[in-house]
Amino acid sequence: MTVSVETRRSRVTVYAKSTAPSLTPVKPGKTHEFTALDHSMSRHSVHLVCYYRQAPTVTMTALKESLCDVLSYYPAMTGRLVKNEGDGCGEWMVKCNDAGVRMVDARADTTLDEFLATATDEEERQLAYWEDVGSDPYLWSPYCIQFTDFKDGSMAVGISCTHFHADPTCVAVFSRAWSETHRRALVTCPPFFHPWAFYPRKNPVPSSPHLSEKSTIPPPLHPPAMSSVTFAFSASSVRQCLADLQLSNLSPFDALASLLWLQISSYKSASLGTAQLTLAVDCRRRMSAPLPLGFYGNALHFFGVKADLSSGWSHIASELNRHVSGIKEDDVWSSVEWLHERSKEKAFQMYGPELTCIAWDNVPVYNAEFSPGAIPVYVGCRIGNVQGEGLVVIMAGAPGEGEEARTVIVTLPTDLTAQIYRDEAILKYGPKIMFSPNI
Amino acid sequence: MANEPLPPFSSSVRLKYVKLGYQYLVNHILTFILIPIIVGISIELARVGPDEILSLLRFLNDLDLIYVMSTLFLVIIVGTVYFMSRPRPVYLVDYACFRPKPNFRVPFSTFLEHARLVPQFDERTVRFQVKILERSGLGEETCLPPANHYIPPTCSMAAARSEAELVIFSAIDELLNKTGMRPKNIDILIVNCSLFSPTPSLSAMIVNKYKLRSNILSFNLSGMGCSAGLISLDLARDLLQAHGNSNALVVSTEIITPNYYLGKERAMLLPNCLFRMGAAAVLLSNCRRERSRAKYRLTHVVRTHKGADDAAYRCVFQEQDSEGLTGINLSKDLMAIAGDALKSNITTMGPLVLPASEQLLFLFSLIARKVFKAKWKPYIPDFRLAFEHFCIHAGGRAVIDELQKNLQLSDQHVEASRMALHRFGNTSSSSLWYELNYIESKGRMKKGDRVWMIGFGSGFKCNSAVWKCLKTIKTPVDGPWSTSIHRYPVDVPAVVKVL
Repeated sequence: MTVSVETRRSRVTVYAKSTAPSLTPVKPGKTHEFTALDHSMSRHSVHLVCYYRQAPTVTMTALKESLCDVLSYYPAMTGRLVKNEGDGCGEWMVKCNDAGVRMVDARADTTLDEFLATATDEEERQLAYWEDVGSDPYLWSPYCIQFTDFKDGSMAVGISCTHFHADPTCVAVFSRAWSETHRRALVTCPPFFHPWAFYPRKNPVPSSPHLSEKSTIPPPLHPPAMSSVTFAFSASSVRQCLADLQLSNLSPFDALASLLWLQISSYKSASLGTAQLTLAVDCRRRMSAPLPLGFYGNALHFFGVKADLSSGWSHIASELNRHVSGIKEDDVWSSVEWLHERSKEKAFQMYGPELTCIAWDNVPVYNAEFSPGAIPVYVGCRIGNVQGEGLVVIMAGAPGEGEEARTVIVTLPTDLTAQIYRDEAILKYGPKIMFSPNI
Repeated sequence: MANEPLPPFSSSVRLKYVKLGYQYLVNHILTFILIPIIVGISIELARVGPDEILSLLRFLNDLDLIYVMSTLFLVIIVGTVYFMSRPRPVYLVDYACFRPKPNFRVPFSTFLEHARLVPQFDERTVRFQVKILERSGLGEETCLPPANHYIPPTCSMAAARSEAELVIFSAIDELLNKTGMRPKNIDILIVNCSLFSPTPSLSAMIVNKYKLRSNILSFNLSGMGCSAGLISLDLARDLLQAHGNSNALVVSTEIITPNYYLGKERAMLLPNCLFRMGAAAVLLSNCRRERSRAKYRLTHVVRTHKGADDAAYRCVFQEQDSEGLTGINLSKDLMAIAGDALKSNITTMGPLVLPASEQLLFLFSLIARKVFKAKWKPYIPDFRLAFEHFCIHAGGRAVIDELQKNLQLSDQHVEASRMALHRFGNTSSSSLWYELNYIESKGRMKKGDRVWMIGFGSGFKCNSAVWKCLKTIKTPVDGPWSTSIHRYPVDVPAVVKVL
């Protein structure tokens, strides 16, 4: 199984493209505006892939029908981008013209288990079809849903969208609403469209030193090619990590994020000193008027964490813990207001160029049950257009592996990825390696 | 058809009452003649007294038995011959229309987007299609088959067959459920689908699916256009005259999948914009026992074929364009030819259905113009006196407007056609059944109401059928309009800007 990826043909074939309308027509004249946070994310895309075992109700036809049904609740998804003529945020807004979302049919020439065991990073990317906006944004669907049939009847559902429509939490909540509609159950987190949630306060204090610094970094001339690898840590490995840290009050996120930060930095430069990590945290629940989980749009707060990497793993982990638990609502508002001030300018790179980490493990992603009792076998999430030093996504692990299980998806420059998945310190905890660039 | 308004003095109120009085007089002339006769006889009887009546009876008693018996037998024979030579009644037991699932719907914005994304269409072609769609009178809920939702549309034969199975089987399933008819009891099967004609035929497909009897009389009409539904009805009626105690299943549909035109000829792009998925299954019977539960009785079918005229023949013509792509070419004088065909049809239909008052007026006007060369406008009979409901083939907004003008119908008369066009699009031969279902769903169909179905189609043909309602249809009606009837009627603007 040491065939290099260039010579082996991909086992995933896309064979048809169509459009799914919503079941009920949208009232004419409806629009959806973006917040400052949405606008700031416009350079990226979100891709969520859920894998399901074969079940009689989980067929492409049935899923397409329930997709049309759930789209009736999401008129912003079926709309198209138009220029924002008013004084709202950013260059674009959504005209809810009822055009529908793009659907792509594909098949994979292998069984689900074999795919999960042997697929490469490139093949996993092909399960969430994505087309960049072409010459005419009005004809371009910001969402694309791919259905991939495996040889044994299993199915993978890949949802891709622009990051400025939705953040990963929003996409996960959508897939859950879709599965509930499919089962004819009550939708537990209906979408909440409220672009004014992140409108500046009455006395705004726009200030975000972290983001101002980011915005001034010029884009690299020759961005290196990026590739990803996935580490699936079982609950016992995570517990072992926490035990090795010998500190109490640390969460699995602190342990894994700090471990990866340390190891990645050690490959970049021989000597370790003070370094900065950008963290992205979902702040729906951290606002004093908490936003419901179904809030449609972006609610990721980006901030910087400085730590002295030479002080050891425990120190880094406790620093991370301190920063994440110490996020103040005022900081969130300040950075929102800062972004709002510059909303008419072009968005800058949010994921990169410095190393970024998304703390996404507190968001449940394994609850999209299309068939009663049949949760996804695996859920993977990727971010598009990551550049620079890379991105680490820490999300909930497969339920079969235990409550503390975590899936860590690392996107780095190709040569660094090749080194990181052979890293001894990480492999010590026995994670399952999936979707690596080379088998 | 000449349509100048009548001279202004006819709109005065006094003349209206004169007209009303005249209609009552002429239409009930027999009653008016009989009443004085009855009054006369009863006065005579009263005057004559009982003795004369008794003597009359004794006279009858003295007659020879043989004369009495011969008279009696003569009456019986004449009565029998009369009853036996009457045509068998054709009852419409029930009908069912295909209910498209809303996930097949095509909003205007999706249609435009697909037209732009399909590489074969250039900008001019796209703009033309959008212009047609905006003025078409269609709504946002019309449905296209699954194959047409792909970019580009996958028009394979397998997709066409699966569309045929979807629409036809769901309509027939619903009909068999509603009527409780067992498939083995169907004696005649007629299917009409103009543009898709595989081998074995669609009627064979139905025989196979429902395991119909081996001695079934099955027919498949193809290539006969949008009026083929009424042609099938006519065929069914003739067969039901030849075979007693029979049930006939008539299926009308149009399969859209294989006919998506991917070229640049503007006259051929109209069907892309207007035709939508639909089917209807109708159960007809001449069994006396069905009389009690039948909804309608077929009273007249009139067929007019203008194919002898070259312009009419080439009016709706399927051909290949300069690039070799097949499409249906609609000529510019379609409306004029349609009007002409309609005039022909109602000239035949008029004497069958119009009340005597209208026919007399028309006769007088005709005599005056032809014999006495009077400069009067031709008299257009008022068909609203003959029918309570009109189902005009929803071929497009222009067709309905033209007929409304020609027949001087009110907006309420053509409401069924306009709303069926808005909700379902042009479903070709089955559109008449969607319109009939609209009228029923609105609770307007009462016992004794007469319905006029008018269909137009390639050829050029204009066919009409007249139904008489046998029982009041109670709402709510379970049919294709169940989920949307409460939202109708809607005001359809002349131009809808594509969102």
